[in-house]
Amino acid sequence: MAKRSALTRRRFLQVAATAAASSALISCGRHAGPWRFFTPGEARTIEALCEQIIPADQDPGATWAGTIYYIDSQLVGHFRKLQSTYRSGSAACDAVCRAAHGQPFAELPFDQQTAFLQRLPNTLQPFFDMVITHTMQGFYGDARHDGNRDAVSWRMLGIPVIPIRGRDHYEFPGKG
Amino acid sequence: MAFLRSRLALLALAIGILIVLGLPAASLYYEYSAGESCARCHEIRSEHSSWQTSTHRAVACGACHGEILTFDPGFHLGNARRLVQHIRGAYRDPIRLRTLDVNAMVGRCQKCHQQEAAQWQNGPHGITYESVFLDQKHNRSRLLMDDCLRCHGMFFEGGIRNLVAPLNTEGPWKLLPASVVQQPVIPCLTCHAIHRSGDPLHKDNDNDSSAKSAGREELYRPSLGFFDRRERANFSVAFLPLPVMFDSGRPVKISPDPRQSLCYQCHGPLASMEVHSGDDRTPVGVHEGLSCLACHQKHGQHTRASCSTCHPRLSNCGLDVEKMDTTFASTKSPHNIHFVKCLDCHPKGIPKKRSASARSSSYR
Amino acid sequence: MSLPRVNAVVIGAGAGGGVVAKELCEAGLRVALLERGRWYTANDCRKDDLRNQRTSVLGNNSGPDEERNPRVFVDRDANRHIVLPSEGGYSNNAACVGGGTLTYGAMAWRYQPKDFRMRSTYGTPEGSTLDDWPISYEDLAPFYEKAEYEIGVSGDVSNDPFKGPRAKPLPMPPLPPTREYEILRPAAQRLGLHPFDLPMLRNSVPYNGRPPCMRCRWCVGFVCEVDAKCGTHNTVIPRALATGLCDLRLGCMVKEILTTDQGKITSVSYFDAHDRLQEQPADLVIVSGAAIESARLLLNSKSKLFPNGLGNRFDWVGRNLQGHAYSGATGLFDFDTYDDVGPGACIAICDYNHGNPGLRGGAMLANEFIRLPYQAVDMPPNGVRWGKAHKDFMRKAYRRTIKIMGPTQEMPVFDSRVQLDPTVKDFWGMPVAQLSGYQHPHTLEIAGVMAAKAEAWLKEAGAIQTWRNLPGNGVSGGQHQAGTCRMGNDPKTSVVDSWCRVHDADNLYVIDGSVHVTNGGFNPALTILANAYRASARLVQFWKGKV
Repeated sequence: MAKRSALTRRRFLQVAATAAASSALISCGRHAGPWRFFTPGEARTIEALCEQIIPADQDPGATWAGTIYYIDSQLVGHFRKLQSTYRSGSAACDAVCRAAHGQPFAELPFDQQTAFLQRLPNTLQPFFDMVITHTMQGFYGDARHDGNRDAVSWRMLGIPVIPIRGRDHYEFPGKG
Repeated sequence: MAFLRSRLALLALAIGILIVLGLPAASLYYEYSAGESCARCHEIRSEHSSWQTSTHRAVACGACHGEILTFDPGFHLGNARRLVQHIRGAYRDPIRLRTLDVNAMVGRCQKCHQQEAAQWQNGPHGITYESVFLDQKHNRSRLLMDDCLRCHGMFFEGGIRNLVAPLNTEGPWKLLPASVVQQPVIPCLTCHAIHRSGDPLHKDNDNDSSAKSAGREELYRPSLGFFDRRERANFSVAFLPLPVMFDSGRPVKISPDPRQSLCYQCHGPLASMEVHSGDDRTPVGVHEGLSCLACHQKHGQHTRASCSTCHPRLSNCGLDVEKMDTTFASTKSPHNIHFVKCLDCHPKGIPKKRSASARSSSYR
Repeated sequence: MSLPRVNAVVIGAGAGGGVVAKELCEAGLRVALLERGRWYTANDCRKDDLRNQRTSVLGNNSGPDEERNPRVFVDRDANRHIVLPSEGGYSNNAACVGGGTLTYGAMAWRYQPKDFRMRSTYGTPEGSTLDDWPISYEDLAPFYEKAEYEIGVSGDVSNDPFKGPRAKPLPMPPLPPTREYEILRPAAQRLGLHPFDLPMLRNSVPYNGRPPCMRCRWCVGFVCEVDAKCGTHNTVIPRALATGLCDLRLGCMVKEILTTDQGKITSVSYFDAHDRLQEQPADLVIVSGAAIESARLLLNSKSKLFPNGLGNRFDWVGRNLQGHAYSGATGLFDFDTYDDVGPGACIAICDYNHGNPGLRGGAMLANEFIRLPYQAVDMPPNGVRWGKAHKDFMRKAYRRTIKIMGPTQEMPVFDSRVQLDPTVKDFWGMPVAQLSGYQHPHTLEIAGVMAAKAEAWLKEAGAIQTWRNLPGNGVSGGQHQAGTCRMGNDPKTSVVDSWCRVHDADNLYVIDGSVHVTNGGFNPALTILANAYRASARLVQFWKGKV
């Protein structure tokens, strides 16, 4: 009997405190989208750029591989210094695109995006070069970096994700 | 001064109450939302969404990750630490299970998978840190190194120098963290990824399994994969290689059974890909082309009754195959069951088969 | 506050410092071995293809600390860039126990006799400080042998007709051949060249109590998981520690070397692992911080007698910074050349190190280390950098390319140098190294010819398409950094004498790649190790009063 009432009290205490704790935590839940750094608009632009750099064909491209997740998470990590470059770069890319085609980059049809990048204004070239570099890192880098889902690029290249290697059963002379 | 001290005491008391009450409460809040509130924390959103399509989708978070209704301060303080890191933006991605989390899961897996767990525990893969890393015979003749942890203790957080001392062939050796001594070095998560997408397991007597009725019997459970310590990730057998093997230069026939790719991760050949090199056990000779799992039981690895799966009671020569001079009958036999060839027992040539009915099955 | 006196302080636990510490301890000296980095193992590194000493786009795996150790790089247009260890222009080597030997590719070359007599052989080109070493190949040969046997080298150089005389073969046989080896060897022979199994500081059989290479694909840039790669961290440093006389102190950043007004070196002041300033008195001080940091430390050690830094009376400290002008070629084949067997580099020729008409030197050429996918993304030769064309090329070429590269011996340049930056300070408040300079035009000329030779080899091997990989014209350094504390007999044109003792100071030594007059057409690790053995032998004699 005593045991049961203790349990009830414990449960009561837990439930009682739940309300306070949850109100503090719900605000986290409102954080929309999976991004650490990008706004949803920026993410659309960057993802479209990534897919141009490594398009899907018989093998998946950068979008399927989630290459943008690599860039996004590094932008709050090792690439912190590049946050403003990404912010202004994607805005400039969309602005130039709007001026020329009346739409942001991600809204253009794929072939029109390609044509746009092939005749990129000089001012946007350094930004695009940087995105190329990071896309290559994410897509062809190890799957652990989140830009190469299921090691899709390594499998495309015919590289076993984890090789098979046994060890030699050596013995040191005079031991054992 | 006294006033200040009482204010401080009050503050400490308030913080204390918050910790004692608030943390279990927060945990409870997560428990009672079927995982939904767990996923509010975007750090585990991908883990949560993968769980929703996984083989274990019917199993609640707490069943594997620990019951929330605990007064274990370590559990709640761990959550509090993560919360502080989250607020400071100093979180690590992705969240990883700690050594003790993985070990704790063994018991939780066991609740549903009792038979598998029992077989595993009594088989060679149920070995403990103590039996592997304090093996006198091994340690006297070979050096322990980080690579040992690739196949034994892959979930150990730390390198070999954090596990065993001294790292030489003189000894005496001891395990540095006492907490792992009796823990398994090849826990369930080594070969199973609980969150991988797939249909929940149906019991054998469940004849209405959708896969079976559609004529697609699965080749292996979707959870099957190898935890690679270097990547800190479990790779599905679909992505693991089966080797191209050679027997003195001759290409060896390998069973296409994809489950073997798990075995090869640890029982692998040297870079020469020669059979029997390194830790390889690829069958050649009379058993060439057989899958590891044709003879070895999945969780216990034992091979009892395996011969009778394919062989008639007596061989062509009228001998009981289970009593022939091979390592199946005795580990001291010179004829390793993996490599035994007809000529090993018939040095003068292989006799003609006596009758069609006695022909051994070519069931592979 | 001063610590108890030791016989010697060795600054830096890399290739040079590791050997010195072991030799001194075994001779009975009490040594404090100061290392600014940590003692990393394979577990700390975990085969991260974007974060290692070779590909550092997400950082380094064996130091130095990214936030605490900036440098300044001055480009050809005199623009200053503050650079971090993982960034281009920093010329990072490593900061850890073992130094570069923890993660290197581990080629184990002896320089050739002519490499020690470059001025005598070729004459000095205008704009270069090309000179002879004060020692010869013969002086160093016994110590090369000692390094080969104590640290451990595998390979078979018996088929190299261009090597200097050697008393003994290498202690370990070469690793079994890879597919690239089988393709390149007959092609080189058809061209009349002399291919052989290149020497590697890597176990091919159990040696020194450690196992052989398991031939994984994560080699250069990574810590070996089976400890088959031989560096000072798993050979001489453990032996030094086993004497009980070596006090290895990690996380210790040396601030300066302190001197009396009479010019006697008394002690070393350093920030310990808790960033507390310590002073360590010593009878001998040995600087082994690699060419850039050793020079920086001497320059930072200013006193009444040495207002411009220790050993810098004639402004030679930090000069002649050099590495190697890597050049070569890539060949695309119409069959698979990739076999996923490490370490990759396995076959070399020394036909073009010397004797090239009109050229002062050359390079050893060898196939490249095994390449992980990201290391191949810059491969397409035709300017294709993105889009379907790039992806198509990766798919077509990744398993079908062979790359041959060579470290072209550089013509040293007086203005390629390490200086103290006037404004940028490190975490501890000390002026950082500023790197500036350029490649001598003749170096680039030689590199161009080496690339053509590599291309010809690939064509003979059956490549259906080839393209050249040429070095830039900026200052060189990197993991092969050398030259900044030149060894010489004339104190006016060098920093240390032929025994690595700083000209102006009786008890101060620089023992690392800094002392190399020229850097050979080879990876310098074995020469650094051998010279450390040689200088240590003399130091021990000196200590015992025998010289």
